[in-house]
Amino acid sequence: MSANRWGIANIYASYNNIMITLTDITGAETITKATGGMVVKQAKDEASPYAAQRAAERVAEIAKERELVGIHVKVRAPGGNKSTSPGPGAQAAIRALARAGLRIGRIEDVTPVPHDGTKKKGGRRGRRV
Amino acid sequence: MREVRIPQDRVAVLIGAKGVTKRMLQKRSGVRFSVDAEGQVLIDDETRSPDPLMVLKTADVIKAVGRGFSPERALRLLEDDEYLEVFDLKDYCNDRQLNRVRGRLIGAQGKTRRIIEDLTGVYMNVHGNTVSLIGNSVSLPIARHAVEMLLNGSEHSSVYGYLEGQRPRLRIMELGFDI
Repeated sequence: MSANRWGIANIYASYNNIMITLTDITGAETITKATGGMVVKQAKDEASPYAAQRAAERVAEIAKERELVGIHVKVRAPGGNKSTSPGPGAQAAIRALARAGLRIGRIEDVTPVPHDGTKKKGGRRGRRV
Repeated sequence: MREVRIPQDRVAVLIGAKGVTKRMLQKRSGVRFSVDAEGQVLIDDETRSPDPLMVLKTADVIKAVGRGFSPERALRLLEDDEYLEVFDLKDYCNDRQLNRVRGRLIGAQGKTRRIIEDLTGVYMNVHGNTVSLIGNSVSLPIARHAVEMLLNGSEHSSVYGYLEGQRPRLRIMELGFDI
């Protein structure tokens, strides 16, 4: 086993949840994943920075077990015709991964951007609550 | 290379007189970037800084300047647990109502904006078709809710009432306790 293995942390941060999927460097093999709902009780906390931190710690623990020295990060927001900026969890998750002793390689934004796609939800009169 | 676009009328603010603001931002963040006259900002993400998040944070600072914040206020985003949130007013109302809604968010002599800022501790800015907030993970959701109430047509008094009602919770969470 080489002593210099890297992985990729795919972080999907929306305003409702956060999902961290740790894969090997090819991105095809999932090593582990953690979501906001796995670490907090209340649904409204799933997207909080705290949930992101806890989820990242869980991922980091397994990364250490698999002897990864560092990870590249792919951050993603809902994208498409929804919000294109990652939720507050993204930063917290990356910070927690770094703090857990993993080296952070490249940080890439992989939010899907439409080349003009479908109509945004909400209708003609905007979002009404 | 990471690319951010800002409106042309904010380019001058980002650069500052003879580049003082740009230099100050680069020095504070340790991340280099270049700006062209069209408002395209290229951020050099090869920089090896101790904080891997600095590149992301710098991108947020530049976006905030582009959304109307002064560079000094935007620098708050370099701290931990400070986030930028941008609303597009067009998601909430049609073009005819845009000016009215913007006026509602700001209030007479900036009264509403000042009350939202003072009671939650966020920075708020209305620029063009957007309203942007800078705040931490505690204050931002509260301010966001207040702004959404205004956008959906609540009376100002009920928004102020909501903000007042959140004060105790905000205080407790600022002290570091979970609710």
